[in-house]
Amino acid sequence: MTMTNQATGRPVPVPDESSSPYWAAAARHVLALARCSRCESLTIPPGQTCPHCGSTDPEFAFVPVSGHGVVRSWTIVRQSFLPGFEADLPFMLVDIELAEQPGLRVIGRLLDGPEAPVRVGAPVDVAFEDVAPGVAVPAFELGAARDAEADE
Amino acid sequence: MSGRFAASNKVALVGHAQSPVQRHAERPLGALAVDTARQAIADAGLDLKDVDGIVAASLFPTAGSHAVQDGVSTVTAGWMAEHLGADPRYVAGFQGIGQVSGAMALAVNTVASGAADYVLFYRALHNPRGSYHGNSMQSIEGPQQWTAPAGYFGPLAMIALPYNEYLQRYGATRESMAAVLVEARKNGARIPWSYWHGKPLTSEEYLAAPTLVDPVCRYDCDIPVDGVAAFVLTSAERARDLPHKPVYVSGYAHSAPAPRRLPLHWPLDDIIDGGAETARRLWEHAGVGPDEVDLPQLYDGFSPFIWFWLEVLGFCPTGEAHRFVQDGRIDSDNPGGLPVLSGGGALGNGRMHGIPQMLECYLQLAGRAGERQRPKATVGVACQSSPHYGGAVVYSAEPF
Repeated sequence: MTMTNQATGRPVPVPDESSSPYWAAAARHVLALARCSRCESLTIPPGQTCPHCGSTDPEFAFVPVSGHGVVRSWTIVRQSFLPGFEADLPFMLVDIELAEQPGLRVIGRLLDGPEAPVRVGAPVDVAFEDVAPGVAVPAFELGAARDAEADE
Repeated sequence: MSGRFAASNKVALVGHAQSPVQRHAERPLGALAVDTARQAIADAGLDLKDVDGIVAASLFPTAGSHAVQDGVSTVTAGWMAEHLGADPRYVAGFQGIGQVSGAMALAVNTVASGAADYVLFYRALHNPRGSYHGNSMQSIEGPQQWTAPAGYFGPLAMIALPYNEYLQRYGATRESMAAVLVEARKNGARIPWSYWHGKPLTSEEYLAAPTLVDPVCRYDCDIPVDGVAAFVLTSAERARDLPHKPVYVSGYAHSAPAPRRLPLHWPLDDIIDGGAETARRLWEHAGVGPDEVDLPQLYDGFSPFIWFWLEVLGFCPTGEAHRFVQDGRIDSDNPGGLPVLSGGGALGNGRMHGIPQMLECYLQLAGRAGERQRPKATVGVACQSSPHYGGAVVYSAEPF
C-alpha cells in the first residue's frame, strides 16, 4: 500500500446513499464494487437500474474485488483543473479493466510516477491514497502485488 | 418500415446570420443573440411577425465554477421568446446530447409537423471570465465523486484517454494530428468572422506546443469564445417564395445510449462501436451514403474527433484515419481531397459547438460561400460532439 501525506488539500468525496459503502471500504483500503443482487454483475457507478439485467430494484451490495486489472489507456496530467493537485503534477491517470468482469473499467492515479513504464495490457493492482483523515481514494500500482502472489 | 425520414428534404434552411466569434464580446450574450436572430430573419426575407417557432439548445459546456445565467452565459429559447419581439406559438429547448444536431432535428420536426411555419434556430456560446474549466471545489458530490477525487476531471482528460488508446492500438503518434490542425486553421484563417481569422497554424507551431494532459495540447482544443449563429427554417414549399436558394434537410441521427461508464469515461471502443451505429442510422434516415457526400463537415471540438468521425462514417477503415489525413487527402484546396474541415470547424473558428459545420453546409450548398465557394457541393454532413455521444445532420442542395 502506498501512503501519502494527510491533508493534501485535495477535494474529498461526499458519500451518499449510492456510494457510502464504497468510501467506507476505501477508507479501510479495500476496493469494493456494487454487485446487482438479481444478476450478480458488477457495476460502477451504481444507478437506479442495473445496466446488465435492467432490474429497477438491483439492491446493489458492495463486495470486495481483487483489485487486479490491466491498463487499457493512460494520460499524464500536467495541468490540473482541480485544487490540491499542484504538488503532484505531473501525474499519471490510468484507465483500468478489472479482472473480475470483461469491460469493467475504472480510472485512478498510477502511483509509480509519471515516468512509469506503462503499456496497454500491463498488470496493475489497486492501492490507496489517504487524502484526509478517514478518506482514502483508490489508485493503482504496476504489477507489485501480482509478483508477490507469484512468489508465494 | 423504412428508416428513411418521412420528412426527408421537406424542410429547408432559408436564411442565416453569424456574429463575430470573439474571446469576449463587448455586448451581453443575450443582446448579441437577439441581434443575430433578427439578422437571420431579415436575411431569409421575413419579418419578425412571420416567425412562429423558436428552437434552441442552451447548454453552457463548462466544468468550471461558473454560474449559469440566462441571457448572460446562456440564452434559452424561452429567454429569446421574451426578447425577440416575435409572437411564437411554439418554443422549445433541446436538452439532449449533440446540441446543434439535436436542436436542428427538433426544429425540422417542428416545421414538418406543422407546429410552426417559420422556425428560428440559434446557438449562443459564452466564454466566462477566468479559467473555463477550472474548478475550486473542496468536496465532490454526486456522480463526479467516482472520478474527481483521483484527479480525473474535465474534458481534456476525457478525450486524452481514448486519444492515447487510439495511438497505442494503431501505432499512431501526436505528429499525425498536425495535418488536422493545419487544415482547420488554414480554413479558419480565411473566414472573416472566425476568432482565428488571418491566423493559420504551422505543423511546427503545433508540435512545439507543450502537452497539458498528454497527448492533448492547447491547439487540440477549440478555444472558448462568445458567439452566436442563427438560422431560419421553413417548409420546402414555402421556401420557394423566399430570396435565397433553400438548403434541404435530408435526415439526421443521434447516438444510441452509450454503455454506462464513470463520468467522462469514453473508452475508444464505446466511441467507435457507438459511432458506427450513429452512422448507420444517419445514412438510413437521410437516404444517402458516404460516397454521395461531397461536403463532410466533421466535428472537432477536440482534434481526435476528426479521426473518429472519419472512421465511423466510412470515409476510411477503422484504425486508418491517422494515415488518411496525411498527404493532402483532407486538404480542401486539393481537388481530389475530402474537405472535412473546409468550414474551419471548431478548431479554426472557436468553441461554437456544431455551428461551423452546419454553417459551412448551409453556405456552400446555398451557393453563398463567396470567395470560399466550392465548385461542387451537393450533399453535406454536419457532425457534432463524439460519434457515440452526439449526432449529425445531412443537408442537400437539391431534394431527392
